[in-house]
Amino acid sequence: MVSSAVVEELKRIVGEGEVLTNREALRAYSYDGTTNWIREPDVVVFPKSSEQISQILKLANKDKIPVTPRGGGTNVSGGSVPWLGGIVLCTTKMNNILKIDKENLTCTVECGVVLQDLNNALAKEGLFFPPDPQSFLGATIGGIIAENAGGPACVKYGVTKQYVLGLEVVLPTGEIVNLGGRTLKNVAGYDLIHLFISSEGTLGVISKAELKLNPLPPAKKTIVAVYDEVAKAGEAVYRVLENGIIPGKIELLDNWVINRIEEMMPMGLPKDAQAMLLFECDGIEEAVQKETEKVVEISKKYGAKDVRVAKDLDEANRYWTARRAGFAAVFGKAKTVLSEDVTVPRGKIPDLIKRSQEIAKKYGLELVVLGHAGDGNLHPSFLTDVNNKEHYEKAVKAMEEIIYAATELGGVLSGEHGIGLEKQKFFSRVTDPTVIDLMKKIKSLLDPNNIMNPGKIWE
Amino acid sequence: MKEPTELKKVSEYVDQCMKCGFCTYFCPVYQEERVETSVARGKNYLVKLALKGEQEFTEEMGKIIGKCLLCKRCVVNCPAKAQIDRVVVAARAQMVNEKGLGFWKNLVFRRIMSDRKRFARYLKLAKTFQWLLPTTEGSIRHLPDFLKALGAGRNIPELAKTFLRDMVKPVYKVEGGKEPLMRVGFFMGCATDFIYPEIGLKLIDFLVKRNVEVVVPKDQNCCGAAIYFSGDFETGRLLADMNIEAFKDVDIIVTGCATCSSTLKDYAKYLPDNEEQKKRYTDFAKKVKDSLEFLVDVLKVDPKDLKVKKEFEGKTVTWHDPCHLIRYQDIKDQPRNILKNLDGIKYVEMPNADLCCGMGGSFSVYHYDLTKKIAKKKMEGIKATSADIVVTACPGCMINLIDSILQNRMPQRVYHIFELFE
Repeated sequence: MVSSAVVEELKRIVGEGEVLTNREALRAYSYDGTTNWIREPDVVVFPKSSEQISQILKLANKDKIPVTPRGGGTNVSGGSVPWLGGIVLCTTKMNNILKIDKENLTCTVECGVVLQDLNNALAKEGLFFPPDPQSFLGATIGGIIAENAGGPACVKYGVTKQYVLGLEVVLPTGEIVNLGGRTLKNVAGYDLIHLFISSEGTLGVISKAELKLNPLPPAKKTIVAVYDEVAKAGEAVYRVLENGIIPGKIELLDNWVINRIEEMMPMGLPKDAQAMLLFECDGIEEAVQKETEKVVEISKKYGAKDVRVAKDLDEANRYWTARRAGFAAVFGKAKTVLSEDVTVPRGKIPDLIKRSQEIAKKYGLELVVLGHAGDGNLHPSFLTDVNNKEHYEKAVKAMEEIIYAATELGGVLSGEHGIGLEKQKFFSRVTDPTVIDLMKKIKSLLDPNNIMNPGKIWE
Repeated sequence: MKEPTELKKVSEYVDQCMKCGFCTYFCPVYQEERVETSVARGKNYLVKLALKGEQEFTEEMGKIIGKCLLCKRCVVNCPAKAQIDRVVVAARAQMVNEKGLGFWKNLVFRRIMSDRKRFARYLKLAKTFQWLLPTTEGSIRHLPDFLKALGAGRNIPELAKTFLRDMVKPVYKVEGGKEPLMRVGFFMGCATDFIYPEIGLKLIDFLVKRNVEVVVPKDQNCCGAAIYFSGDFETGRLLADMNIEAFKDVDIIVTGCATCSSTLKDYAKYLPDNEEQKKRYTDFAKKVKDSLEFLVDVLKVDPKDLKVKKEFEGKTVTWHDPCHLIRYQDIKDQPRNILKNLDGIKYVEMPNADLCCGMGGSFSVYHYDLTKKIAKKKMEGIKATSADIVVTACPGCMINLIDSILQNRMPQRVYHIFELFE
């Protein structure tokens, strides 16, 4: 519980209107993008500066009050759910873009800037921030860094950690530190920024970030390849890459998703296809043209039934809208969807798909596969109903098997969502105990009173 | 705590939300406040708890579900297509069931607005005294600060000298005793009746010139938007029944107000308590056409055959999408097809044309500070076009656009799209 004296102190720090304690507001900060992880905080506070964050953390540290940092609350790991109550430190009002530096292709932003807002501002300067978690409409930069988020564009551009040059972090003890810098190269001492990237809010509050940007590619082309076996589509992914082409995106949709999309918005996708790969080549026009030809050629050579190149932007947009609708297709059809985030080395995609299908068959479940095939990150999903205990438990068991299959294939249990609460029970089972111990030591060094987002990552 | 009967009717929509939070990007209120209770996801979650009996309709809950423009931007952009607008309206209805309407809404909705003649009488009384308010520009009156209820410093339009109801004939035959192409009923709507009668007269004249016989039933009432969107379904049904009765002799009903056309069409969505009502409201909805829908989809008028009034020739014109047109009725291309192909004007699409103007009916009465902030973004879009004229098809939007343009010291004039035509 947070005492009324602490609430008064918080009001003094951030102002009366920036502290919420009414029951309804607390409930509205009890969840994130997951279905079942729900816990109310005792108070929600909206700082407007790093100094205010520092004062809040000093106060919390003194009284050992749990603090859960939260941006847009779009994460899907339970990571921003205040599992032990206490303070939700919500950064949505720290949303200023402080500087866009065209000369150095960097920008400086406050942690609460929403990715889409940033990219809108960058587009005016001919720039973009490449990592593209599909929650870009609500996800904040602070959260994106804390989760080391990624998306379809990572096959070519990499994930968030490749685009963070510097961070301003408020430590749990209240000190404001600047890590990294503004340069591409930087080997002055330990590379501490990477400690905070993917720290899931357990080591401090990221208050500002210096980001690396890319120029917007002037040309783009979309290619659709259709397969009569999901595993064949999986193979095509690494065949394209090993032949020297790195498309901007490679996304996979299976038969189930294709058919739901056709029901929702008929666009002439082949309903009998078992899988579809969606490629996007981007860059300088001539290069895009050549790469597109090559993708078509390789796809055909390795078993595509049909390959089409979108003739214009309009057609391309329709395919990508369909891809984005993929999740809606899944979520719209079932009471509960169990969706995973496993990632394997790209060459193992066909094996992972085959194993997942076998597991689904064994349990008599409907499996849906879609995901960022280009980087080995798949989202196998089961349609179930949390209220149907028997079915739900079966789905949970089957998903566990898929997770272990992925790790056996040399993969990891989360590619882009993080551990949070959702994957805790697997984390300790697939991670070396010495490594976990090391992580815990780092945690206690930075956060001696365990106030930062307690109850996450490890059980 | 009462049985959540109104909430149960929308429980399937409540369950559609998967909490992805995409609505935060599209919600004009969230974009200003950046607080979870402002946005669809937060509101829906609280209603979900209320359905389970875990959340009471407290004063705070009333404030939260009240703070929504019902602009439906979240709905059309939702990956799960969750109809949270209906959840919000149902929650307001549930609130009314449990806590009553409150003194002012009770007086205005049930005693005044539900009786058209009484409404007109009250307004006439108000008109007599409106000279007390200082004039700003033209017929816009500047509301003195002491009228806090309507928002400090707000420019409200002057009530018409003569209301439309007192000017219209019951029937407008086509000229020269010709056989009309078709016969339609004209639905005025409150704003057109009491503030912009010229729009109503213009529309009638426009239709008659195109061989459409127009009847104007005198027993027509308020469409009920402000009333049933506030959760007063009881008065909403009363108005629905009066309007259905008033227009029983026509097969097509045309209105120049986007909010009215969508409200009349949506009785079936919000109000039915039983199957009989549902059928009656659904049948009625089929008759209703917004003026633009009627012009383009029914009359199939070629824009090249429309002549621009002399005073608008050579002007740059931009279009504002009313929420009730673009999202409630999916009418998006019709006005653009006309404006792009209309000789004599230059059409420029404004950025964020579909962004709510901030009015939201009675929303702007309770949250005028937010209305102003949201309107400011609309104004930035208008400024970017350098247009001389903003046209739209909703008198409600017109009121707020005019206010915002004056507040922001901008030069644009605002018209109903039909006012452009000769």
